[in-house]
Formats: sequence, structure tokens, C-alpha cells
Amino acid sequence: MATTSATLQAKDTISSLLPEITVKNVTMQFKRAKDEATSLKELIIRSVRGKRKYEMFKALDNVSFTIQKGEIAGMIGTNGSGKSTMLKIISGALIPTSGSVEVDRKKVQLLTLGTGFDPELTGRENVYLNGAIIGYTKEYLDEKYQEIVKFAELEGFMEERVRNYSSGMVSRLGFAIATARDTPEILILDEVLSVGDMFFRKKSEKRIREMIHGGSTVLIVSHSTSVIRNNCTKAVWIEKGRLKACGNPKDVCDAYEKLKEGEL
Amino acid sequence: MTDLGQRKQYAFVISQLTSREIKRKYARSYLGIIWSVLNPLLSMAVLSLIFSQLFRRSIENYPIYYLTGYILWQTFTSSTNASMTALVDNKMLLLKVKFPMELFVLTRVYTAVINLGYSLIAYAVMLLVFRVTPKWTMLFSPVILICLFLFSLGISYILSVIYVFFGDIKHLYSVLLTLWMYCSAIFYPVEQLHGLIRIIIENNPMYTYIHCLRKVVMYGEIPKIAEFFQMIVWSALAYIVGYFIFKRNRNAIIQKI
Repeated sequence: MATTSATLQAKDTISSLLPEITVKNVTMQFKRAKDEATSLKELIIRSVRGKRKYEMFKALDNVSFTIQKGEIAGMIGTNGSGKSTMLKIISGALIPTSGSVEVDRKKVQLLTLGTGFDPELTGRENVYLNGAIIGYTKEYLDEKYQEIVKFAELEGFMEERVRNYSSGMVSRLGFAIATARDTPEILILDEVLSVGDMFFRKKSEKRIREMIHGGSTVLIVSHSTSVIRNNCTKAVWIEKGRLKACGNPKDVCDAYEKLKEGEL
Repeated sequence: MTDLGQRKQYAFVISQLTSREIKRKYARSYLGIIWSVLNPLLSMAVLSLIFSQLFRRSIENYPIYYLTGYILWQTFTSSTNASMTALVDNKMLLLKVKFPMELFVLTRVYTAVINLGYSLIAYAVMLLVFRVTPKWTMLFSPVILICLFLFSLGISYILSVIYVFFGDIKHLYSVLLTLWMYCSAIFYPVEQLHGLIRIIIENNPMYTYIHCLRKVVMYGEIPKIAEFFQMIVWSALAYIVGYFIFKRNRNAIIQKI
């Protein structure tokens, strides 16, 4: 008996030490026109005058951190600090200028406030459209459909157009689709936990906890320190494109708040 | 996922996106998809009413002459116009996708091709009504349609990228389309024009596609080698350049969106 529990423990430590997301020296650089032209007319006028000046802008500057399997990591930083660029790189939408991110992209599930639902389609049609886009097969959706509807508490509304849904209904459905997968995965939550009604927030936090127990890794992006303090086991603070701190959520959040107070 | 599974998933995504486009297009109309059949017929009736008198001597069977040009032109404009906004319209989905994002543009063009399919039903009926006898040369028409598809797709890629950065391309393009339409000899005989404008028209890819389809359907002629060459080069060129521009700007698009 003793040996089995020892091996179990050993297994646990091993699995919790496996890096799930490894961000190595990631730099993202953009060529940004000084007061950028937003219309073709402007662009042409400026090009003719020879007034197009570029500056190189580093959205992320040599950022490295790792997130272990089963960890709930929180990412904080002020607006424009490079959080969403980091997210786009982790989810594979952007390719960094230099550095690398090691992560199994097939497992990454991104949940943002905008769900990308089509208001002209019914709830059911949106489940299939959205599900197809985030990588579920038709068979899988057929099988999980009832479960998704039940979790989102939208029985009886699925044949109605999403245009007529309340914002709470939309975010419930979005959350239900994104978390319908049962295999362990990497869930990235972009500002979703800081909005929505109390009741749904509790329910979604419960679901996330279930997923963590099932072996999922979660990355929460928020600029609310309370969300990170209450949910995370690790915090990553990015400020002006640089990694400012990484470690214990309490310490990192304290430092972050201190800086914010200093600014005020 | 295996290769086969991946491909099956792409097919599922394309079918979902396409059915969404079609549903959207006819979301508030009573007749729905029947409009795809009715539209070309109504347009043909209107134009024939006026111009068949005018061009009586130079064009035989004016309604078919017009309809042939109209459905190809309509396919091109509706696919490029819809594709132009494809990336911006789907910006929330773009970040979540697990497949190449050109699929969003592709499905808009594909939707236009499905519409063309419905228009072709109307076209076939009209061929019977106006007693155009079936000819073996008609077998060449799929080649022309494939070239048109690739050409539209290439232009669509380019427009969708530009639209992400410069919203006003939409207005500019609609002006350009008007000019382009008049240079495509859709409702008038090209024989009456001479000089520079004639040269422009004959080097206009859209005119070449229309002209070749008229040849194989109405006159039972095979397009000349030079015309085949022109069609294929235009479509390959548009597709390759469009795809290249799309790939090159991938990062910039995601960042902008």
C-alpha cells in the first residue's frame, strides 16, 4: 500500500512539473507608421509628400516564462502592455519576430468576451458554426449538443436568433461551447471572468475548477487583481512589453497594485 | 488529428461557413434562394427590353448574349465584394481558428459560386426558351468557370487584406467596378468600338471569360489558343499574387484586428 501511494505521489509531482506552455525569449516587433494613415487617400497623400516615417515598436521584448501542467496562471498588466499580443502568440495566431513558444496548439482553447456569434443565425446554428471553427467535428457536436444547451441553460431558446439573446445568454453559450471538450486541454480566458452575472460567474468558476481537476491548464488574462488572487496559482506580470514579475500571485499582485497606486 | 481527419474538419468548416453566408444573405427575404434564379432573369428582361432593339443588327439572340455576360460578372462582383470584408467581419473568430484563415475568404467566393449554380439553372432554362441548340463545345465551359473562380479568389485575397488596413477601399472599388463593367462588354457588342478602348476591352480578363463562354455556348466555337492562354495566365497570376500578399500580411492582419 505504502509503495503504491509513494509511486502515485511521485507521478503527481512529475506531471505537475511538466511544462505545458514554454515561452522562450519572445520578442514581437512591429513597423508602425508615425500617426498611421487610416485611409487610402491619406496614405497616397503622405507617400507623395514623402512624409511616411516609421518607427519600430516592440510589443513584447524578450519575454520568457513557463506554465506547468495543471497550473492556473494569471497574466496581468495595464492596457497596451502586450498581454493580448502574448495571448495571440500563445494561441498561434501571431508568429513572434524572435523567440519561440512551445505548446500543443491543438489543445489550446481561447475564450474571449466577443464570441464571434452571428446574430442572424439561431443558437443551434451558431453552436455548429462556432464549434466547427474551434475544431470540433460534426459527430462530436451532435453528441455534445444537449450537454452544451443544458450548461448554458438555453433549453427552448436554441431555435431563436442570437440577435434576440441577452448578453448573459450569449456569454453563457460561448462559455459552454468552449469548455465542451472533455480531454485535458489548455484553456485561455481573456477577461471573461470579470464580467457576467454573479450566478454564471460562480458556475463558470466551478467548471474551470472541474477542468483543472481533469488535468487542464488554465491561463487567465485580466487586469483585475482580485480575479487573479482568487483563482490562480501563479501570476505573470507584463508591463510595457517586458516581463516585470513572475511567481506567487499574492506577491505579484501586491507589487502591481503598488505601482498603480504610485502612478495615481 | 490525422491528415484525413483534418481534411474532413476543413470540409465541415467550409460547409458551416457557406451555409451561414447563404442563410445570412436571405435572412429577411420571403423567397430566399429563389432570388438567385430570379435576379438574372429580371435583369435580362429589363436590359433586353431596351437594348435588344438597339443592337438588333449586331447581336443575334440579345437576351442570351446579355445573360451570359451578366451571370459571370455577377459572380465576380459578388464574390469580391463579399470577400473584401471577410476578415474584418470575422475578427472575433480569427483568433480562435485552428485552420488557415484564408478559408474565410474562400467560403465567400464559394458562396458566390453556389449562387452561380442557381443562376445557371435559370440560364439553362433560357437557353431552351431561346432555342440555343446544345453543342459539344459547351463542354469547355467548366474550364472557363474554373479560371473565373481562381481569378475571383486571387482578387478577393488582395481586397480582403487591403480592407483590414484601409476601409475606404470599399468606395474606391465600387467606382472601379463600374468602370470595369463598362469595359467588359456585358450588354453591348464590342465590334462597334475601335482604338484604345477596344484594346483595353480585349485585354480585360473579365471580357475574355465572358467572350469565351459566349463562343462555346452560343456560337459553337472553340476559343483560340491565345484566348485560352490569356484566361489561364490571368487566373494563375491573380491567384498566386493574391495568395502571396495574403500570406505575407498574415501577422500584420492579426495584430491590426
